[in-house]
Amino acid sequence: MKNFASLVVLLLIATSVWAKDWQVDYSNSQIGFVIKQMNVPVEGGFSRYGVKAVFDPAKPENGLFTVELDIASIDTGSEEGNGEAKRPAWFDTARYPTARFVSKSIRRDAAGRFTVNGELTLKGRTAPLSVPVILTPQRTGGWLVSGRAALKRSQFDIGGGEWADPSVVADDIDARFKLLLKP
Amino acid sequence: MPTSYRWPVIGLHWLTLLLIVAAYVLASLLEDMTLSPLKLKLYAWHKWLGMSVLFLLPLRVLLRVLDPLDHRAELTEMEVKMSAAVHGLLYLLLIAVPVLGWLHSSAAGFSVVWFGVLPIPDLVGKDKMLADIFKELHEGSVNLLVFLAVVHAAAAIYHHHIRRDGVLIRMVPWLRKKA
Repeated sequence: MKNFASLVVLLLIATSVWAKDWQVDYSNSQIGFVIKQMNVPVEGGFSRYGVKAVFDPAKPENGLFTVELDIASIDTGSEEGNGEAKRPAWFDTARYPTARFVSKSIRRDAAGRFTVNGELTLKGRTAPLSVPVILTPQRTGGWLVSGRAALKRSQFDIGGGEWADPSVVADDIDARFKLLLKP
Repeated sequence: MPTSYRWPVIGLHWLTLLLIVAAYVLASLLEDMTLSPLKLKLYAWHKWLGMSVLFLLPLRVLLRVLDPLDHRAELTEMEVKMSAAVHGLLYLLLIAVPVLGWLHSSAAGFSVVWFGVLPIPDLVGKDKMLADIFKELHEGSVNLLVFLAVVHAAAAIYHHHIRRDGVLIRMVPWLRKKA
């Protein structure tokens, strides 16, 4: 048993040796979302965010991903929407300026396809979030990390009060991301 | 000879007027509103009503063409020409105003889903500058539409009260029944 434990430790050290802290090419990356307003899908996104991606391409299951969003950088698709989104009923950026996703475990589903299970902290509330991710090798030696996640705004008290009615602004948020990792 | 249009022509004419007035009133309300769920609802209704005007138009033109009433009856040669010009422009604007609104919606990144059910395809991609241009043209063209509708109504009233002919009766046959 003791031998097994030391083997695990050795393996962890070995993988951490090969795991690389990838740098993100932010100008070619995007984190966005689609939310229905009056049943019309409207695109939005965040222009400022930080990503930490540490993994060994041979074994991404042992990797670590964290994403930090600067909520004030939100684009809701319209200027008046951007102003409204920062107010207390929505994201309350004065009290909760950032949102954070931290991966807890990564499962390999198929070649290049993974499910990243983690925790999303948004407006001071933390909830588990499962994110299907596709890892695509780039010619340059970098990687494209893409995927989408289904969220419900009510789970994080985003848009309460008069905005709670999901027939006006839907509860479902379809989050999408494309992150280009430099070689 | 019939003295009025058939009921579907008359019904759709007045329905179109109702839709335009409602869409116009909604647009005026929207101008002064700050963002709220009500504003999103009214904005959607404005688009739904406007697109309805556009969708009804081919049917209206078809029914009008098939209608046996001779619109030139009781008109002078000059009036036939003026009436053709005003009607031609009105039809053009009944297309242009909703299409410019549709273009504005597409360029603004807020597509139209007709009555929340039928997604209308975008005519152009999202483009802030284009969106502003289409907004101006939409507003300008609707002012022209309102102006021409007033000319159109004034001409009808002139025929009814001054010329005392049956031109207004064609579209308002219940006026005759009362008289």
